[in-house]
Amino acid sequence: MRISWMTRLTFLEAIRQRFFAFLILLSAALVLSSVSFRFLDFGHGELKFVCDFGFGGMFLFGSVLAVVMSAQLFFAEMDNRTALTLLAKPVSRTEFLVGKFIGVWLVLGVFIFTLSTLLGIILWARCQELTAAALEVGKAPPELSITGLFSYTGMQWARLGVVAAMILMVASLARTFLFTVIVGSMLVVAGQLQWLAQETLLKPGDLNLFSKLLLTVSTYIIPNLQQFNIGDALTLDHGSVAEGAVTLSLFSGACYIVVFIFIGSLIFRQREI
Amino acid sequence: MKSLRVQWIIAIFGLGLAGVIAELSWTKVRVSIPEMGKKQIEPSLGQGVLLGILGGFRTVVADGAWIRSYVLWERRDRAGCEALMRTSCLLDPRARFFWENTGFVVGYDMAHWEIRKRGGYAKVSAEIQDDLFKKYAQQGIRVMEEGVKYTGGNVGILISAGQLSELKLKDFSLAASYYKRASESKNAPWFVHFMCARALWESGQMKPAYDWYRDVWQKKLSKEDDHAPDDLEHLRFMEEQLHLAILQRIPRQPWEKNN
Repeated sequence: MRISWMTRLTFLEAIRQRFFAFLILLSAALVLSSVSFRFLDFGHGELKFVCDFGFGGMFLFGSVLAVVMSAQLFFAEMDNRTALTLLAKPVSRTEFLVGKFIGVWLVLGVFIFTLSTLLGIILWARCQELTAAALEVGKAPPELSITGLFSYTGMQWARLGVVAAMILMVASLARTFLFTVIVGSMLVVAGQLQWLAQETLLKPGDLNLFSKLLLTVSTYIIPNLQQFNIGDALTLDHGSVAEGAVTLSLFSGACYIVVFIFIGSLIFRQREI
Repeated sequence: MKSLRVQWIIAIFGLGLAGVIAELSWTKVRVSIPEMGKKQIEPSLGQGVLLGILGGFRTVVADGAWIRSYVLWERRDRAGCEALMRTSCLLDPRARFFWENTGFVVGYDMAHWEIRKRGGYAKVSAEIQDDLFKKYAQQGIRVMEEGVKYTGGNVGILISAGQLSELKLKDFSLAASYYKRASESKNAPWFVHFMCARALWESGQMKPAYDWYRDVWQKKLSKEDDHAPDDLEHLRFMEEQLHLAILQRIPRQPWEKNN
């Protein structure tokens, strides 16, 4: 009950932010303009180009939103001293953090599903035109899976959830908004590149013991955010995705969210406000 | 205090568990992301492709890298041009365009650049020139082979690899093997069967060339709407050259023109 109350407060506060409105408009403009930019395209399939524009928007602006908004909403409570009032009531720090997280995650959901719907409409409309054109000349029509697009959207939402949970964990330790944003952004980049460490460990070659240990630890601590990035395969080549891959990556995302929020609450409980 | 310690132990254990699940998930997801390969990425790092590797805008970054590679192509910067072109291939490995054109540039252009760099056609001996043409053609074919692998056996790349083998390596058997692979694919263009037979013929395997072409014509081409008359004409020429007896030849077709 108290968590849902915190969630509602956070959601309403976040959705009213100009920053959110600005980013969603910018991303929507990017998705809409993708069709006009297709003349810049070389060898890709046209739908792939449009998809990539949309996925790029979701990835880039979604990450910015997750990092900045999570940190901003957390530190707004600290700086305005409203956290003191809230925590004086029978609201535990864990509930505070969980409520914040769910509120932010719901806003990220609004962002990602709005963009995805827009992208889906554009892709579907263009696919109809391309199919008609292809059938006229006896060519194979392009492949498009709207279900795949929404599976990918779910994966991106999970990815943004992991990012938001990670930022709240850092925020519960950090003293300033700026520090949280910088460290959080670095963690997102590290998470996107974490697979390189995993690949290196598969074929360690001439790595020394220290490097191996460092890589092993980093692969467990830093979440692999690249595992949520199979939009092309899901949307345009649905058959190429291994069975259970989406479910497993969603489960992995859920595990990271729970663990990061748990660690965040452990840190936050010991923090002096 | 003790409870807090236990909670921290649970947290660390949970983090490890999440890591194990993420590893399992990555092994499943990995196959769907062909553009992700540590070995392939290494030469491309520093070419401004970080955004593409991180996540979105891969095709846009690939196009950008391709445009930049044209600048280096004009400057005849061999290493830079190839690195950027390979970057485009890496960022969008399913696109025929990047693989095919990278193969063309490496296989056809780069040998000329190197000859000019060594002082020009008059200064470099014919043997060395020939070696260079062959060396770069082989490199170009390797690029195209990679492209064939990533695009799931794209017919266009197979035909281009065949042409490169034929024109630069003068290896008609190799060319025939590429054309044959193209000819066996579902969307093989009409002309590739003849190209394969001709390459086999040129390589000296005249009878096998005829047998193969005849087999394709009888099983596939003759069933088309127009019965592929051009291919039959080529087959008749081969029969003539091979001095085949009447009974060994393809029976005369009712629609066939009189010579």
